[in-house]
Amino acid sequence: MSEVVLEVDGVHTYIGQHHILQGVSLEARRDAVTVLMGRNGAGKTTTMRTIIGLLHPARGGVRVEGRAVDRMAPYEIARLGVGFVPEGQGIFATLTVDENLRVAMHRDDTEHRERLRRMLALFPDLDRFRHASAGTLSGGQKQMLAIARAFVNPQRLLLIDEPSKGLAPIMVEHLIAALRAVKHETTVLLVEQNFAMAEVLADRFFLIDDGRTVREGPMAALVADAGLKQRYLGI
Amino acid sequence: MRAGPSTGPGAFRARPRPRWSDPTVWLRLAALAVIAAMPLVVPSFQATDLAIKIAIFGTLVASYDVVIGYTGIVSFGHAMYFGFGAYAVALCLGRFGAPTYGNLLLGFVIGAAVSALVAGLIGAFSLRVKAIFFAMITLAFAEFAGILAVQWSALTGGEDGLSPKLPGVFAVAYDGGRLLGVPVTGKLVTYYAVLVLCTALFLLMARFVVSPLGRALQAIRDNELRAEALGVPTFVLQIVSSTFASMVAATAGGAYLIWVRYVNPESALGVPVMLDVLLMVIIGGIGTLWGGLIGAAVLLTARLVLPDLRGLAVLLGGSEVAQRLTARWLLIFGILFIVVVFFFPRGVLGTAREALRRRPGRVPGDRS
Amino acid sequence: MKRAAPALALVALALSPLLGMEPRVYLTLTVAGLAMGMLIFLVASGLTLIFGLMDVLNFAHGALFSWGAYAGFSAVVLLNGWTGWAESPSVLLNALSLLAALAAAVLVALALGVVLERVIIKPVYGQHMFQILITLGATIVLEELIRIVWGPNDQVMPVPMSVQGSWDVADVIVLRVPVIAIGLGLAVYAGMLALLHRTRVGLIVRAGVESGEMVQVMGHNIHRYFTAVFALGSALAAVGGLMWAVFRQSVSPAMGGEQLIFAFIVVIIGGLGSVTGSLVGALMVGLSYNYVAFLFPKTALGVNMALMVLVLLVRPTGLFGAAR
Repeated sequence: MSEVVLEVDGVHTYIGQHHILQGVSLEARRDAVTVLMGRNGAGKTTTMRTIIGLLHPARGGVRVEGRAVDRMAPYEIARLGVGFVPEGQGIFATLTVDENLRVAMHRDDTEHRERLRRMLALFPDLDRFRHASAGTLSGGQKQMLAIARAFVNPQRLLLIDEPSKGLAPIMVEHLIAALRAVKHETTVLLVEQNFAMAEVLADRFFLIDDGRTVREGPMAALVADAGLKQRYLGI
Repeated sequence: MRAGPSTGPGAFRARPRPRWSDPTVWLRLAALAVIAAMPLVVPSFQATDLAIKIAIFGTLVASYDVVIGYTGIVSFGHAMYFGFGAYAVALCLGRFGAPTYGNLLLGFVIGAAVSALVAGLIGAFSLRVKAIFFAMITLAFAEFAGILAVQWSALTGGEDGLSPKLPGVFAVAYDGGRLLGVPVTGKLVTYYAVLVLCTALFLLMARFVVSPLGRALQAIRDNELRAEALGVPTFVLQIVSSTFASMVAATAGGAYLIWVRYVNPESALGVPVMLDVLLMVIIGGIGTLWGGLIGAAVLLTARLVLPDLRGLAVLLGGSEVAQRLTARWLLIFGILFIVVVFFFPRGVLGTAREALRRRPGRVPGDRS
Repeated sequence: MKRAAPALALVALALSPLLGMEPRVYLTLTVAGLAMGMLIFLVASGLTLIFGLMDVLNFAHGALFSWGAYAGFSAVVLLNGWTGWAESPSVLLNALSLLAALAAAVLVALALGVVLERVIIKPVYGQHMFQILITLGATIVLEELIRIVWGPNDQVMPVPMSVQGSWDVADVIVLRVPVIAIGLGLAVYAGMLALLHRTRVGLIVRAGVESGEMVQVMGHNIHRYFTAVFALGSALAAVGGLMWAVFRQSVSPAMGGEQLIFAFIVVIIGGLGSVTGSLVGALMVGLSYNYVAFLFPKTALGVNMALMVLVLLVRPTGLFGAAR
């Protein structure tokens, strides 16, 4: 088995008074896609936000490549090589596509600019609208931009939260293709409600319910288990 | 540093009736007794003046606490309503011939009405914007009101202000015999009238914050989105709350006027009053209502005592800098302000309640 | 077209009084209005960036205005005492003394700004009420310190000779100070736009105005940018204060507080986080104040309030503000 890139260990996170995560544990291994699934409100986004440092766990730990990150600030975690594509993409609407990509660069040097050029080549739509305001892009294009942004830096780990949300089916196809193209470059932790998409991309799954990890295993096992799907995903 | 008491399982439970074994009820009665007894027991005018001003400003600060602590709206216009109330009573007493009880009452009514109207209007078109905007807008209005008061001197007497006479039993010349060995002057009658008024206002506010309306407001304060999701008409309630609070402030302003018998822009309407209110509410504790009384007591007593700090300059060798330092006691005020906000954001009462709540054996939601 | 609307409104506003008054008066008022607008812009631009990026209610901004003025004042007075530069008829020496004053104001403001942000404001991020209270406390302290160090009374600001007086342009008297103020304001505006749109720092700040969280997630220590923006805003306020002192030829401890209310109105009108917005808003406020003050003196401030209310009703996020 390949090495563990991300370890989330018995994490409890509070938002204000609310005990949202009540013991989430998961791991993501190198060069694999791990998917985090669960009902609405189960705590998937909160888990992602805890990993990237926007929230700090009250209990438990988060380790990236063996290094404890649960007390670090988001920018420090990002600099370790952790990319985050939030729900809703997090695009800067008043900046141009090009500026969005440039903001994402940790450093303005040749390596990063080269990666930027590569991203534009990989996503021709973005190249075409390079100097347009990012707010004018379609939903699908915004999602592409969000992913391209993440890859402007070399990434050890990429966190993606519900990328297919609100996208038309044809766009989801493009999205899957794009993720497939970059999947081997990094370790991906994906939150996705779209089961078909998860099925195609993911190698392992973690199910969370009510803020707790309830099941894990190879993706094939989840696909085959109708009872599990019904109970925790309602499908 | 969250403002106001936290929501707990008991947040939406009805408040238990005050039990006579509840110590805070006794504390409040004691405070009332002290203020009531002041003019009869202590011959110094400064002491009685201080006592009744504590009552008046305590009421004003409590009304501000309703807005800031219980509804969660940061406003800078509150002192403005105090000024409206004071000016309304002053004008009704002074500008329409000889002062009568009718005019006095009219003044209070007009003051409350105008304040309610202004608060309602400001709320109606400003509460929908971000909190930052609302704070700045209320500040702009307060400044505007102050400048208006100065410039519209035909009505307001400009910077010199107004000094109306009071009618009947409140008049300076009134002589009603003696009470417990103390001469019953107009001033004494006014004292008790103001005290009764302030007590009534306090009880009204206390009722307001525990009513279903008050509870709903606290829910809005703690999590506006959640309250809206629960179907609470947040916008309307916020307007109701700020209107109510402005009317209380206006009435307190009227009370101030009849005690001091003088009003001018700086003493009743200006930014200095607002700053005082802010400091008092912080010292007393935001979201505690009664903290207003404590805050007023601390600040007003300090004001009385601190200027005498000048004597310290002699101790420090009488150098020019030392003299300037102690003459500028406002500097100490400002530093105190910052220190209190940093280290005691919950104020006296808030910190006390927090400490009590942590004690074992307390039932959650038991708010005493 | 929608973006151009506020600018067009401004131009319309600027031209409207021509209908009611004679050109010479109009010109004087317009110059004065633009100058006042520029000074307010200096204060408001810093304030709007601080609000927009840091979501901080900075009521201490007025104190920095005052401190800038006083720092410049001291610089000029000291320099004058040693070298008499301000009193000399040489334009070069006058300019140098003004530059010295500017440098003093900016340096003092930068230092104060950094200290304020790190010590006073950082602990209260995200808590608006405490920000208001604490910055108010800081204002009181700073204002009192001015009274202690420089004395509580208004003082005369020595203005270099070549800056005083006026030019005679086609039979119209045009005062020099306002024109210099307008030039300075335009230079600052151009500089800020360049900073925001052509530098990496500016890019990150603009992104941060939209979402501080996302900027952090992209690996930038947003707090460093906060400090930088706060310091810059403070320096701008200080320059505004210095120019105001030159304009009025006096300094007073409370000068900052009086101007702060205008700055707030402008920030509301222009929109949080928009430098262009604060320029347009400031010019509107400056012009309307001067026109109205001439025509109906008592209602001048009221007009600005009305303007603010109007903008709030029509576009609550401000003329150039991003809907958030």
